[in-house]
Amino acid sequence: MNRIPVDSSNIADVGYDDDTMTLEVGFRNGTVYQYFDVPQTVYQEFMGADSKGIFLNANIKNHYRYAKM
Amino acid sequence: MPNSATYLGTVQDVQGATISVALDKDTVSGLAFIDGHGYRIGQIGSFARISIGFTDLFGIVSQVGAGAVPEALIKVEPYGYRWMKVQLIGEGQRGGEFKRGISQYPTIGDEAHIVIEQDLARIYGRPDAPNFVKVGSLASAESIPALIDIDRLVTRHSAIVGTTGAGKSTTVANLLASLSDPKKYPSARIIILDIHGEYHSALEDRATSFRVNADEKRGEKPLCIPYWALSFDELLRITPFRNVPDAERAGLIEKIRQLKFSSIQKQARAGVTADTLTVDTPIPFSIHRLWYELYRLVCSTHTAQSQNQSSATEAIETDAQGNQILGDIMQVIPPKYRPITQSGANRVYLSGSPLNIRRQILALESLLRDTRYDFLFRPGPWCPKPDLQNLDAQPSQDIDTLLESWIGADRPITILDLSGVPISILMDLVGVLIRLLFDALFWSRNLPEGGRKRPLLFILEEAHAYLNSSNEGAASIAARRIVKEGRKYGVGAMIVSQRPAEIDQTILSQCGTMFAMRLANATDRSHVTGTVSDNLEGLFNMLPSLRTGEAIIVGEAVHLPLRALIEAPAKNRRPDSHDPKIYDPASDGGWNRPKRKENYAKVTEVWRSENPRTENNKSAKL
Repeated sequence: MNRIPVDSSNIADVGYDDDTMTLEVGFRNGTVYQYFDVPQTVYQEFMGADSKGIFLNANIKNHYRYAKM
Repeated sequence: MPNSATYLGTVQDVQGATISVALDKDTVSGLAFIDGHGYRIGQIGSFARISIGFTDLFGIVSQVGAGAVPEALIKVEPYGYRWMKVQLIGEGQRGGEFKRGISQYPTIGDEAHIVIEQDLARIYGRPDAPNFVKVGSLASAESIPALIDIDRLVTRHSAIVGTTGAGKSTTVANLLASLSDPKKYPSARIIILDIHGEYHSALEDRATSFRVNADEKRGEKPLCIPYWALSFDELLRITPFRNVPDAERAGLIEKIRQLKFSSIQKQARAGVTADTLTVDTPIPFSIHRLWYELYRLVCSTHTAQSQNQSSATEAIETDAQGNQILGDIMQVIPPKYRPITQSGANRVYLSGSPLNIRRQILALESLLRDTRYDFLFRPGPWCPKPDLQNLDAQPSQDIDTLLESWIGADRPITILDLSGVPISILMDLVGVLIRLLFDALFWSRNLPEGGRKRPLLFILEEAHAYLNSSNEGAASIAARRIVKEGRKYGVGAMIVSQRPAEIDQTILSQCGTMFAMRLANATDRSHVTGTVSDNLEGLFNMLPSLRTGEAIIVGEAVHLPLRALIEAPAKNRRPDSHDPKIYDPASDGGWNRPKRKENYAKVTEVWRSENPRTENNKSAKL
C-alpha cells in the first residue's frame, strides 16, 4: 500500500485502501499498523485533522481492530 | 478398365497428399448407378479410390472444376477438362485392411475410381463390428452408413460444433441413444452437464437426473454437491473469501485444516491419517462451524486487552434469564457481544485477531442463509450439522454414496442438470464437478469401477459458457486436464458448442474427433479449421452451406473424413432444445394463438421461487 507522508510529531505516513477499508499508519519509530474496516470518511477526517496523533488516539485506536505489520 | 462403371478419370498432378484428377470425358456427372446404388460423382466430400498396383489409395474430394486445374495448365486449357482435387487419406492392400497414412504416392496416369459400398466396407472393417455405432449415412451415398468407432470417440475426446439449429442436440441425442443401448453396452457410463435442463425428457428411461429443486414425481433426484469435498481453492472461489490477501488465506487454511483434523479424530476415515491430512483432503467439516468460529474470533469483543484474550474473556451479552446469547450454528445466528467501551471499570475491548476478514465473514453469513445455495452448503445427508454441544457432528453419509449415485447408478447416463444453479457460481461449479469425478476415477484407475476398467464420458453442453478462452476459471482448468490426461485414465470429454471461437484452443485442439455442423461465422470456422490437419481445409470450406443435420466428421473415430447426414433419433429421444414458435400452426402457442387471460401472479410466484415448475403445473413439460 502506498503511504503519503504527513506532518506530525509521531506519525510518518498514512495510507488507505478503499477495497479492503484498511488504514495503514507508519510511525516515526518505524513500526507500521493496519487498522481494519475503517470507513473512508474517517480516513478523510483523519487526513484533515490538525493533529494526527490526537485524532488517532481519540477516534481510531481502540475503535477498530488492528494488526502490527 | 476405362469402361469400368466406377472409373472417374486419371491422375495428372501430384503435390504431396493433394492430387489432381482429370475427369474422363465419358464420365457422367451427377448420379451414377453401380450395383443398384446411386452415387453422386464429383461431389465435394465424397471419396475417391486410386489403384496403383496391389495397393488402393483412398482420398476425399476437396475441389471440383476449373479451379482444380493444376497451375501450369491454367493458360492452356482453362475449361477443357473437368478437374477434381483429391486429398489422400490412407491406403489399403487389395483385399486387405485400410490404414491411415500413405506409403506410396500415385503417379501420372493412375486411375481414379468412385468408392463404392464394398470399398467402404473394407475401409471400416466390418460395419457390424460391436465397437462401431451408426450415426447416419454418407451425404453422397445414402446406402453407406456413417460409422463411428466408440473406442476412439470416448477416450480421444470429441467436439460437436455448429450454429444454433444446425443439429448439434440431435447429434448428441443420436450418439447417446446408441451409446446407452442396454443390449450393446450394458456398462456404459456417461455424464451430461446439462446447463439448460434439456435432456431429461429425451432420456427418461435411460438416465438418472440430478437437479436443484428436484421434482421427485418426474423421477429426478436432488443435486447435492457437498462443499467439504471441494479443494481449498475451489471452496474459496465460491465464498466471499475469494480475494483475501495471503496472510488471511494462511489463517483460513489453518482453520479449515484444524476442523478437518478434529473431524477425523471424531470419526476415522479410511485412506487418511492425521499425518497425511491436508486442507484439500475431502474430509467432512462444517462450514457453518467455520463461520461461527471465525465470527467468534474476529467479530467478538473481550473484557481483556488483545494479548490476554481467550474464549474465557469474551464479552457475550446475556438475556433476561442471565443466559449467554450464543447464537446458533446451523441457523447461522451469531453470538451477541457487548459493545466496546472506552473507559470505566468493565472496559470492553475489540478482538485482537490480526485477520482482516470481518466483512467477508458477514458476507459468508448471508451466503449460508441463502436457500439457493442449499444444494452446496446444506447438501442433504452429506451436511454435517454441528451444534454447540456437539461441534464435531458428522454427516450421515460419506462421498462414496454420492459417487455411487452419480457414476455407479443402474442407468448408463447421469444428467447433472445445472439449470437451477445461481449463474454467478456456475462456471466454478462445473469445474468442481469435472474435477471431483476426474479425481475419483484417476485415483481409482486400477479398481474394477475405476476409469481404466469402466471409462467415463463427459458431455459438456454449451461449453462456450464455461470453457471460455479468456477465462482461467476452474472449469477450463479441469477440462484441460481431462483432454490432456483423461485418455490414460479412461475419462473422455465430448464438447458441444455453437461458438467454438470462444472455447480455449488447447481444449478444442485436443479433441481427436470433430463433428463440424453448419457454421456461418467466419471466426468460428477458422477456429475449427485450425484444429484439423492442413489438407482438409477444402472440406471445411463447405461448413456454411451444410444442411441441417449434416456434419463433417474428421479425426480418430472415423477412418476417413466423412460428410454425413445424421439420423434424427426417435421423437421421444429428442432433447428439449427446439426454439419457441412465433407462428405455431397448431396455435397452442406463438403469436397467432387466441389471446387468453393471463395470470402474472403465477409468473411472480415461479420467479420468486426460482423454479419453473409450480405446485400446480409440476407435471407440465417445460
